Amino acid sequence: MKRALVLVVVAGCSVALGDAPPPVTDDWSPVIYPAQRLPLVFSHARHLARGTQCAACHPAATTSQSAVDNLLPTEAACRVCHPIERGEPERVVPNAPPAQCRACHAGWSPAAPVERLYLVPPPLKLSHAAHAQVPCTRCHGDLARVDLATRKQLPTMASCLSCHRDGDKPRRCGDCHLAKLGGLLETRFAHGTLVPHASGLGDAHRIGFARDHRQEALQQDATCEACHDRSECVACHQGVTKPVDFHPGNYVLAHAVDARRGKPDCSACHRAASFCVGCHERSGVGRRGITDYNTVDPERAFHPPGWASASGGRNLHARDARRNIASCASCHRDDECLDCHSAQPGSIRATVHPPNWRGSARCRALDRGNRRMCLRCHVTQDEVGCDWTAP
Amino acid sequence: MRRACIAAVVLAVSATSAEAYEFWLRAQTIGQAYQLRSYRLVGPDLFLGRRRYTQTLALRIWDVGDLAAARRRARLPERGLRISWQSYLRVDHDFGDYTSGRLLFGSVRRDALDVFPELAETTAALDLMYGYVELAGIADDRLTLRLGRTLRDDGWGTTAIDGGTLRGELPPPLAITVSGGLRVRASSPVGISAYELDGTSGAACREYVEGATPGTGTWQLIDRDRQIKNNRFRSDFEYCPQRDVRQPTVGIAVATSRLRHAGAELGYRRTWSRTVGLIGTPDRLQFTDRGLYPDEFGQAPATGVDEEYAYARAYADIRRAGTTIAPYANARLSLLHAALDRADAGVRLARGPHELEPSVEHFLPTFDGDSIFNAFSIEPTTDLRVGYRYSGAVTAIANAWLRRYTDAWAGGVDAGVERELARAWRGRVDALWDDGYGGRRIGGSGEASWRPQPALWLRGRAIVLGVAPDQDIRRRYITSSTVASATWRVADAVALHGIVEADLDEVHALQTRAIAVLDLAFAPEP
Repeated sequence: MKRALVLVVVAGCSVALGDAPPPVTDDWSPVIYPAQRLPLVFSHARHLARGTQCAACHPAATTSQSAVDNLLPTEAACRVCHPIERGEPERVVPNAPPAQCRACHAGWSPAAPVERLYLVPPPLKLSHAAHAQVPCTRCHGDLARVDLATRKQLPTMASCLSCHRDGDKPRRCGDCHLAKLGGLLETRFAHGTLVPHASGLGDAHRIGFARDHRQEALQQDATCEACHDRSECVACHQGVTKPVDFHPGNYVLAHAVDARRGKPDCSACHRAASFCVGCHERSGVGRRGITDYNTVDPERAFHPPGWASASGGRNLHARDARRNIASCASCHRDDECLDCHSAQPGSIRATVHPPNWRGSARCRALDRGNRRMCLRCHVTQDEVGCDWTAP
Repeated sequence: MRRACIAAVVLAVSATSAEAYEFWLRAQTIGQAYQLRSYRLVGPDLFLGRRRYTQTLALRIWDVGDLAAARRRARLPERGLRISWQSYLRVDHDFGDYTSGRLLFGSVRRDALDVFPELAETTAALDLMYGYVELAGIADDRLTLRLGRTLRDDGWGTTAIDGGTLRGELPPPLAITVSGGLRVRASSPVGISAYELDGTSGAACREYVEGATPGTGTWQLIDRDRQIKNNRFRSDFEYCPQRDVRQPTVGIAVATSRLRHAGAELGYRRTWSRTVGLIGTPDRLQFTDRGLYPDEFGQAPATGVDEEYAYARAYADIRRAGTTIAPYANARLSLLHAALDRADAGVRLARGPHELEPSVEHFLPTFDGDSIFNAFSIEPTTDLRVGYRYSGAVTAIANAWLRRYTDAWAGGVDAGVERELARAWRGRVDALWDDGYGGRRIGGSGEASWRPQPALWLRGRAIVLGVAPDQDIRRRYITSSTVASATWRVADAVALHGIVEADLDEVHALQTRAIAVLDLAFAPEP
């Protein structure tokens, strides 16, 4: 029987006052601090009220450099005050602290083994020695009001960040959390998987996170790369297979509606002028390959009647092109537009520019930035540029 | 004597201090087999097989030179110089007719790849998605340098540059990031077109052929008299030299650093390219050739901007009395277009298991500066959106959106509920409705997942969707699809994934698809 377990506590404590204890929350991660079993009777409050210093029972707390160090007092430490005798489990010493086994081991019976503790060291990097100047209460709270200390007297990430706050010191997940091979954080433990949990870093993996994490990924000092290799991003965004629930099944038939709206933004993963065109052309939907689609025969046309008409009519394609020409670009190469929309000889010179285009800021910006685009249609001297003059 | 020399060499080598590098690998082998239709309005559709093989390899070499080993062993936070390598390589090839087949084009039988150069993406493609060496912790942890093929995602798409990125900590709470290099294009060494700016095609490229008098020339397909070689991995005929020139890119961003509850960033990025001049033999044309672009008046610029952006973003995360309020705003100004082409703003409100997110989004499609699509795209759209999430005994998501066009609208709602049905069983149902510009869709899906053994995951999903594109009421149809997938963890970190999809709809008969993945670094979802 190990009577040393009588005085089990989870970490150092102090009666030193000054800094306010961290706020009590229900934020203890079951992965970092798995459920404990502490079949003990103990009162920190009574010990502290008697003036016992934390270091009296936890002497290693000021020198420990690892979270796996056992800082619990041994039976020998208890014996300093408690006149424990293993051979006398019912021993009572007048004017001395309790020494009976059952004083601490509730329900102790000589006929049964002492119930064991179940206490797993947290998978963290923690140096008590580095925090030796910090009052114990800063991390462990005010134990003067606590009997048996549990994981609720261990610091949460929020309480850590109350000191390790915004500032000029680098702060990385790996400063406290264990890393595995390759420098990524170890996230899988026997007690569960470590996932961000709304701890003030704004990166909690909420519902639907796999589909919608743009805002989190854009945050400064985003912590994604602490756990995820960048290949995970690329494998999905530029990958050859997608999660089965991203696009609905048989998406070939349903994608046109999304593509015309540009919602979701297809360009986040696909390049219209290569990915979309290649597939459409090969599938006989484009203009260049072998296709039975026929713009003359309304029964065999891809687009509805009046889609693109040189002689007026609804000319619906202009509307679509103005709104989301990316959907046009998924079948048509830019040269095809120039059959009609060009100032070149032979073209019907159907302008795509809105009124007052030439004097507009956009015309000037495009011409100033890249006149090569303008030169695809406008060749003669009087047509070149918005405010171009010959050198 | 020889033995002594060998022994000496062995001793010399073994006496050298061991430089322990940490390797991390993730390899995936993906095989896909399915058919795509080549649509025929007259007669039966053709079926083009895809037999696609993909091999990926993600590699991390950590702490090269063991510079941080001592602190790591002491379980101290990493400080000081740390050198690492990260890369992701992919080989992708389609053995099927879809890419590697031939087709009758006119009266000539040609490789599909020659007719559709875009298919080269999946023909023996060797892509280095990224690969860079990182020097972190320089100058007392104030500088981080990345050299090689680095990625940059501004939230509206990913770019890659072959060059370098340097991040430096300014006086708190600011940091600066500068980057420079060549933008990755399809024509870059082990490049990939996915990183290339959209809008310019890889086919039917033209050159300006001068006329008898200035201004009377015409754009024509680039002279085909150049020597044609039978290349099995790319088109033999297409020649688009402007798409092969290098695109220098520079960027700079100033952002907040090490702030927990708020952040902001201001950035600028510019990509440009040289204008292609003369191609081929100068006198091969009837009149004096002045280059790829018309230049009779000196109107062809020496360079052109492909993209030029200034962007800003800000966010905050305020928590009070159990309520989280997280507003955010992102905006991008395309200086090339003198237009705000992307912007969104919203706020996340969370309390207990409830989360509500109203937002507004502005969108104007923009393209590579060389693309004439830039002149066509002039009507931005604005979306109003609201999302709701609930995470309790069940998890639920609901989204609604409304978009206004100048003379039309579009909108929709979708919702889903997921819960644990029994031990190792989970179920989920979703419903979708949208309408307006683009078309109408209504439908729903059901999904169940089961984990009968610790190393086996099974999942099934069925969806039924009615689709009515607004362009053409003749093509209304109902489509259904069932997907079954299984993951078997063969050993620690080794898994086999299998996916089978069967689609049935009014347009097509039954279509099937199978995907198998060998994953050599498997980690199950939490």
